[in-house]
Amino acid sequence: MTCAEFQKILPQIIDGGGTAEEQEHMHTCPVCSDLVADLRYIAEVAKLLVPMEDPSPRVWEGIQKNLEREGLAKPARRNM
Amino acid sequence: MLPFRNKATTATLDRIQWSVTRKILLNTAKKILANGISEHEAIERAQRGDAECFEALYGLHKRRVYSLCLRMTGNTAEAEDLTQEAFLQLYRKIATFRGESAFSTWLHRLAVNVVLMHLRKKGLPEVSLEESMEPQQEDGPKKDIGTRDNVLAGSIDRVNLERAVESLPPGYRIIFVLHDVEGYEHNEIAEMMGCSIGNSKSQLHKARMKLRDLLKQSKAEKAANRR
Repeated sequence: MTCAEFQKILPQIIDGGGTAEEQEHMHTCPVCSDLVADLRYIAEVAKLLVPMEDPSPRVWEGIQKNLEREGLAKPARRNM
Repeated sequence: MLPFRNKATTATLDRIQWSVTRKILLNTAKKILANGISEHEAIERAQRGDAECFEALYGLHKRRVYSLCLRMTGNTAEAEDLTQEAFLQLYRKIATFRGESAFSTWLHRLAVNVVLMHLRKKGLPEVSLEESMEPQQEDGPKKDIGTRDNVLAGSIDRVNLERAVESLPPGYRIIFVLHDVEGYEHNEIAEMMGCSIGNSKSQLHKARMKLRDLLKQSKAEKAANRR
């Protein structure tokens, strides 16, 4: 199996699966095994991108104004 | 502070910090809210029109919804507008929440749909299976013979990854955020995006490949600056 052939089917097997030939190529070819390692590492660290920022206070102000305009909510104390 | 901090240590400490922050955020959902009631009770009261409880729910979930909108759009003003829209829809629809899934999951899906609707209106190009199956120049076999020094493992920090994600083309960024950051499965993404599972996998692969290139470039630039 060539690298081109392996990399063509890689999107479908990177998260599991693949034939014995594909698995063998993944484990024995240094170029493709490094590629797979990098892509899996990127997927892994992506999970750690926790939410870090709050929206500005104008977002809550906008929500309140809209709800009051639609008559869905009475004016509430603004403590956000 | 450690007297010496190499790349591996920094990456490990970053991961620990992220893991701790994530646990704090997840536990927040179970905490008693500032007004002394549980999230479950706040939801029930909000369903009956209690504005203060809705405000408490906003406070609890705003960060995650906003982060999702920001990552998917790459634009703070748009993200704020979409966050506002998501919570307005939440207020209108909260009475339909039946508790079959976790509230945060339900709200999250609602926010994703708000963002996708917005992006479709903006004319985000539809991705087709045909496009994903055509061999393209950038999809040629990678021939860079990698030594262990060239692999990414242990070298990515949050700031660089966030910057790289922001640099992705919109279509790639959306799929990457939905799958790798937010944890949606390909069948869910396919349903949301109106594409096939194969296409979702293909686009995700392209997104990760693009990120790999960006992160390697960033790594090389840093190394060059150190010399």
